[in-house]
Amino acid sequence: MGKYIKYEIKGSYKVILGILAIVLIASTVIQVNVRTGGFDGSRFPLVAFLFSLTIFGTFLTAFLFIVGSFRKELYEDRGYLTFTLPLTGNQIVGGKLIVAIMWFIVLGFVTLLYNIFLAKILFDIYLPFKEMFDVFNTFSKEAITFIITAFIGGVITLILIYFSMALSRVSIRNKKIGGLWFIIFLILNALVAYFNVKINGLIPYYLNLNTLEITHLKGLEYLPNITMNMNGASITMGTGEGAFIGIAGMIYNLVVGIVAFLGTGYIIENKIDL
Amino acid sequence: MRNIVEIKGLSKSYFNKKALNNLALNIEEGKVVGILGPNGSGKTTLIKILTGILRETKGEVLIDGHEPGVYTKSIVSYLPDRNFLYNWMTIQDALSFYKDFYKDFNEKRAYELLDFMKLKRDMKVTSLSKGMTEKLNLTLVLSRNAKLYILDEPIAGVDPVARDQILDAIINNYNENSSMIITTHLVRDMENIFDDVVFLREGEVYLTGNAETLREEKGMQIDELYKEIFGE
Repeated sequence: MGKYIKYEIKGSYKVILGILAIVLIASTVIQVNVRTGGFDGSRFPLVAFLFSLTIFGTFLTAFLFIVGSFRKELYEDRGYLTFTLPLTGNQIVGGKLIVAIMWFIVLGFVTLLYNIFLAKILFDIYLPFKEMFDVFNTFSKEAITFIITAFIGGVITLILIYFSMALSRVSIRNKKIGGLWFIIFLILNALVAYFNVKINGLIPYYLNLNTLEITHLKGLEYLPNITMNMNGASITMGTGEGAFIGIAGMIYNLVVGIVAFLGTGYIIENKIDL
Repeated sequence: MRNIVEIKGLSKSYFNKKALNNLALNIEEGKVVGILGPNGSGKTTLIKILTGILRETKGEVLIDGHEPGVYTKSIVSYLPDRNFLYNWMTIQDALSFYKDFYKDFNEKRAYELLDFMKLKRDMKVTSLSKGMTEKLNLTLVLSRNAKLYILDEPIAGVDPVARDQILDAIINNYNENSSMIITTHLVRDMENIFDDVVFLREGEVYLTGNAETLREEKGMQIDELYKEIFGE
């Protein structure tokens, strides 16, 4: 699978670098514009607004490019090379998935760090790194839980997208219907979320990540909760009280992710008709 | 002699159309077999099933004793009838790719074949003409020491000069311990390299046999026989 990942990266890094370049240039234009156009928020410059749209559009393009690379294997002639390699379906899906996750992380982190350092240079802002990390430590379990849950949620969403694409390829033979995978994805996603809520309702036990105690939902009702369902897990965060993860929902989501992954691997290894 | 390919009762249907109908065929080790038939006779369907990118509706296919899968993909060297290389690749990238994925890839032979085909390593695959693409694809496929080569229409759509070069490459690089399946409807150009021929008609084997024996029995070239069978 390592070799497959190598060629996936080779085939996509130029586009990703191009996207990064556009995002960084746009970020620079926005920040310089705000610096010269006033920072009091009274007249947020039009240029900055337009470049913010540019960044959004570029990220959307990146998302479609990265996710669409799996679809290309299913519908374009390159599939004749990929699917005749001596690799299992799981190795191909796994390779695609790892490279996709890697690119999303690279795009996110580079954009974030670049903007922080540019702001520091342009506005001479005091960046309280030490304090930031102290705060991070205080709420570390909440923050880490949040990051992990968001990450798992993102990965499961990606797997569901791949699964939908593979399903749409084998459901209507030899017909290329543009948005079919997206409709399948919306339906699957809705079903997954619906049963997640149901399961969390049926088995309403939450794991407190600060104390590692398991609590029934009734024991949490006093909290000023922010409840999020991020496709990865039902997570409840009370201010200062730690983070609570819906145990049944989390396990259910992991199972969904694994089943969809193996299902995609199975389809491309045993059901694909090029 | 041992069979490298064994096919029993193979059928493939698309809705109500039968692409292959209860086909039975064995291919012996060390033979070059021509699968002959007009468009729509089931040649490409058969080859896709052998290479594991299409599933049969019914029947059994064994290659070196295994059903099409990861193992058979590692011993079959397949030339599809289209541009299958990734668009971002240069010729050198394609060679490295083959070297990385196929243990039986012979790099030295690949460079010799590239020279023979007059292809440069730094050329991008998207910049190649149809004939050059066909030569590159064949270079990659023939540079493997595979147990079974499957070539789908290797000379379709290329000019006569390139055609001769491709045929020479096939003859010179074929090793006697391997087997080769070639589909074509350009029978006259290729008939001299076949040991056996299989005539496919509407998804069924219409006639099969040793090419030389058929020539003697029927008193005509395979090309003429082809026209007699399919020219009605």
